[in-house]
Amino acid sequence: MPALGNKHSTLATEWLKDGICILSFLIPEHSQNVITQQFLNELSAALAEIKVGPQPSGLVLMSRRAGSFFAGADLLRLEQLRQASSSEIVRACAAGRNLFGQLSDQPWPTVAVIDGVCLGGGLELALGCDLRIATTAAQTVLGFPEVKLGLLPGWGGTVRSARLIGPGPAVELIASGENIDGLAAERLGLVDACVPPEQALDSAQRLIAMQTVTRGYLQRRRQQAAAIDLDPQEQDFLEATSAAVILGRTGGHYPAPPLILATILKGAAVTAEQAGPIEGHAFATLVRSEIAGQLLRVFRIGERNRRDIGIGTPDGRADDRPHPKAAPAVAHEVVRPAVIGAGIMGAGIAASHLRAGFAVTLIDVEPQALAKSVAEILDEAAWDRATKRTDPARALHLAGALQAATQMAAISNCDLVIESVLERSDVKRQVLASIEETVGARAVIATNTSTNPIGKLADSLSDPSRFCGMHFFNPVRRMTLVEIIYGPATSNATIATAVAHAKRLGKCPIVVRDSPGFLVNRLLMPYLHESVEMLREGLEPKRIDRIARAFGMPMGPLELYDMIGLDTAFYAGVVLNDAYGDRIAASPVIPALVRSGRLGRKSGAGFYHYNSEPGPLGGRRSRSERPDSGVAAIIEPYAMPARPSSDETIANRLFLPIVLEAILVLEEGIVRDGRDIDLAVIHAIGFPAFRGGVLAWANAIGATEVLRRLEPLADLGVRMHPPQRLLELARRDEPFTV
Amino acid sequence: MNRSPATTPVVVACCRTAIGRSHPQHGLFRHVRGDALAAAVIKGVVERSGVDPATIEDVVLGATQQRGELGGNVARTAALLSGLPFGVAGTTINRLCGSSLQALAQACHAIAAGAENVQIVGGVEHMQHLPMDSAIDIHPQVFARSSRGMLSMGMTAEHLAAAHGISRRKQEAYALDSHRKAVQAEYNGLFEDEIVPILGHNAVGAVMEALRDQSIRSDTSPEAMAQLEPVFLPKIGTITAATSAPLSDGAAALVVMSLAEAQRQELVPLVRIVATAVVGVPPAAMGTGPVIAVRKLLARSGHDLADMDCIELNEAFAAQAVYCIEELRLHPERVNVRGGSLAIGHPLGASGARIATTLIHTLCAGTARLGLATMCIGLGQGIAVLFAREDA
Repeated sequence: MPALGNKHSTLATEWLKDGICILSFLIPEHSQNVITQQFLNELSAALAEIKVGPQPSGLVLMSRRAGSFFAGADLLRLEQLRQASSSEIVRACAAGRNLFGQLSDQPWPTVAVIDGVCLGGGLELALGCDLRIATTAAQTVLGFPEVKLGLLPGWGGTVRSARLIGPGPAVELIASGENIDGLAAERLGLVDACVPPEQALDSAQRLIAMQTVTRGYLQRRRQQAAAIDLDPQEQDFLEATSAAVILGRTGGHYPAPPLILATILKGAAVTAEQAGPIEGHAFATLVRSEIAGQLLRVFRIGERNRRDIGIGTPDGRADDRPHPKAAPAVAHEVVRPAVIGAGIMGAGIAASHLRAGFAVTLIDVEPQALAKSVAEILDEAAWDRATKRTDPARALHLAGALQAATQMAAISNCDLVIESVLERSDVKRQVLASIEETVGARAVIATNTSTNPIGKLADSLSDPSRFCGMHFFNPVRRMTLVEIIYGPATSNATIATAVAHAKRLGKCPIVVRDSPGFLVNRLLMPYLHESVEMLREGLEPKRIDRIARAFGMPMGPLELYDMIGLDTAFYAGVVLNDAYGDRIAASPVIPALVRSGRLGRKSGAGFYHYNSEPGPLGGRRSRSERPDSGVAAIIEPYAMPARPSSDETIANRLFLPIVLEAILVLEEGIVRDGRDIDLAVIHAIGFPAFRGGVLAWANAIGATEVLRRLEPLADLGVRMHPPQRLLELARRDEPFTV
Repeated sequence: MNRSPATTPVVVACCRTAIGRSHPQHGLFRHVRGDALAAAVIKGVVERSGVDPATIEDVVLGATQQRGELGGNVARTAALLSGLPFGVAGTTINRLCGSSLQALAQACHAIAAGAENVQIVGGVEHMQHLPMDSAIDIHPQVFARSSRGMLSMGMTAEHLAAAHGISRRKQEAYALDSHRKAVQAEYNGLFEDEIVPILGHNAVGAVMEALRDQSIRSDTSPEAMAQLEPVFLPKIGTITAATSAPLSDGAAALVVMSLAEAQRQELVPLVRIVATAVVGVPPAAMGTGPVIAVRKLLARSGHDLADMDCIELNEAFAAQAVYCIEELRLHPERVNVRGGSLAIGHPLGASGARIATTLIHTLCAGTARLGLATMCIGLGQGIAVLFAREDA
């Protein structure tokens, strides 16, 4: 490539015969293009050079990396910005915004060709151009993910998108953080055309030729510069309805979405020139906020989890091996997975395999249960989220990838078998032994269990090194966490294989050492248990659940009990109580409810009463959920004296026991890193991401303050007594986790 | 407005089906097709009018969901189904909730213009068989000037209620009154003349003569209404199932022609159509449509609102009806004297013809002279039609 090519390391210039200048970029030191300071500098220089050179007939901006336009700004930059002062941040925003604005301030039209991921700052760059062409390629997605980090676009994204697609659609796009494909972007007006990738450059040239005649791009520049002419009644309605939707979605815990709405509406009323700084100030407010800090950290620990192969440390330190037998482990790539047991969990696991593109074998000894399950699996796997119904053609296609059988022989050539039969150790042991007899010597065998010790189940196998736990959560399609549990004999290769496989299912695997309750249930149970203790002290279920929601949980502990099923929760509680004694007590209330037939949602009643009747408007069904007066009578024999119960005390009683257990889990080496705990509670129990997870929350409070809050609760028993490690952290003023 | 008898549109007959609930288990018409409902009212209105079928020139029907059993120009198929001569043309139109009032209006325009004369107008909707929110794909760039929320009529009504301080209690009192008036009218047999009996199905599936509107409730109370959850804005909203018009199935039809033609066929005109008007308003302000439409109508006809003896204001939501009554300063005792759509039901495309039918029967039953029918329309429109008793 001639001209500027050798002066810049991220940008190259090429002139076409028709006078069109192509500015193409590639950020070499990253796997995906991200906007670095160097790129910004070089873009600025390149644009300046084009301006003073021979005039092009048009400019095309495109990536030289397949599948990647720009994935966004370099997060490292963001981290640095967090440390900067408000005015420095506002200036940095203005610099980026103005630089992108230079893409549409010259006499010739500019077109961005978007073939691949175009997110955040990448989309803001594309919006700086007069026109955009997206491609139909599967990798092509556009969106503003900033809100997921507690931010908003700071390089003119709110200003330019609101003028291009309208304030309402811009609020939806930016406040939701959802990605859209090229065709959806075209329908929305975010891009001007969506074409096959091989037609993109040609289409860009055609657009430039047409626009040179029609001068349409000049009209658009005027539209981009002006205030938005929005009917006042429409503006009021947009503001009110968006605010209501945002409040419903965020529970008021996330400051970015309402600020996005306010920024777009304020910016709409003035010129783009005036709207820019409004956005800059909003960005500065958000980027410096505590919540953005937590969300950035959660994002980073998610990235860290993606790099984590399950053994050793993804941070490049060699000092925290998971267990002594840290032989170099090579994960083998699973090709033929099988699931044993067609119950709810087995079906969910099989369906997630189909969705991830695997052919999967499903075994159940009951032909009828199997047939019923196959239909449900196909329904779920072929579920189209967009249309909210099963895609029959897809179900038919997937049916070919699901092999259902009643005989174990069908799994003889499988290389990963996930046993998911009844939660009874005698049944499991028998099935595991039979799996081992059937499969080849290299196959990995996993058990999906929440209560059976992996080490004990391993006894039933002649080669326990290839055995581990893979604990999926219900419903499998929604719950992203998978606990990968290793026993004393589990090999590193087995762990690595299970971890890699869980990731290919789109899950977030956390490696856990075998111990009662593993990780999630051990952290969850003290929280659930405490809610029942408070019921015994006479508190209203609705109040307890409301306080948990106000803390940021997606549902309260008693609602969660009902969803899990009280019988299931009871059994898990007994296992933990046996192992940890009074620290995780088993409440007598739960078995009493179970005895009265209250199993939670599945039986129509638990702590609440459920019914599913045709809704008031006819066809649709509504679910009513109301406190059940019968519960009080069942609790009555177990009543305890009332205690002072401010909302704050209730929240402390619910959430501090999780912290205490997490400290012990970490100290006992059940997980390799505190960040795994934070990730697990966010994924598995819905611990609010804006608090960064349970240990990040404890960090924010500080060990000394945690101790102070525990003090008045000490008489409740050992479950509220600080472990030694907490006292040490407080004394040394150390954080709970990095 | 003075027109010659040849260009003065009059209604000589009108009727409707009972209005059923759109409910898959309990709906009166769950086993009856929408086109069959339309054919039933066409047949019924032709018989009642005594019009010579050979003189009918066109069938103009409103329907908002023109697909499935209401697809392929249901006005034509229902005309064929009802046994009208092949020479009768048919067209199906869509002005959403205002569809069949629009059908009436444009048939009258044809008469005034000296074009098609004898016409059957009406509307049909089967909201259970053809749900209002399915198979619709609105261009997202429409929302550039508005917002996606405007597609939810309930949200626009919530906004109207919030912006004008129309409390939940006030809405519920209004809805309760709508039921009370409908119950009273039904008790007094006032709907008997307007309802064409057809076969429907009762709760256990047996056939029954559908003579009564299924959503009118004599057993509702302020206490019962207060128990309901908001439908459109969970927890914080003010609008519930009780203060929204029920999803409904039904049809209604009228026979219109010029006064001269009525005289020629020796038919008794019931009312004359004096004027019509439609308007557009911001989509988010959907519920305000009637206010603007009525003002435009009165300016056009030269009448005063105080002259209106009888007003049918379609009740999409109690909040929206209350807003229109307050904004136009209507006399509440002249509005929806036999109850409104909150009680009777709101089969979208049929509702305009339904309220016109009820209005005409009300006018003819008393000494009232002038009647007004008006409706709010989704995506921001309003329609209003002015009727006058021909003999008064």
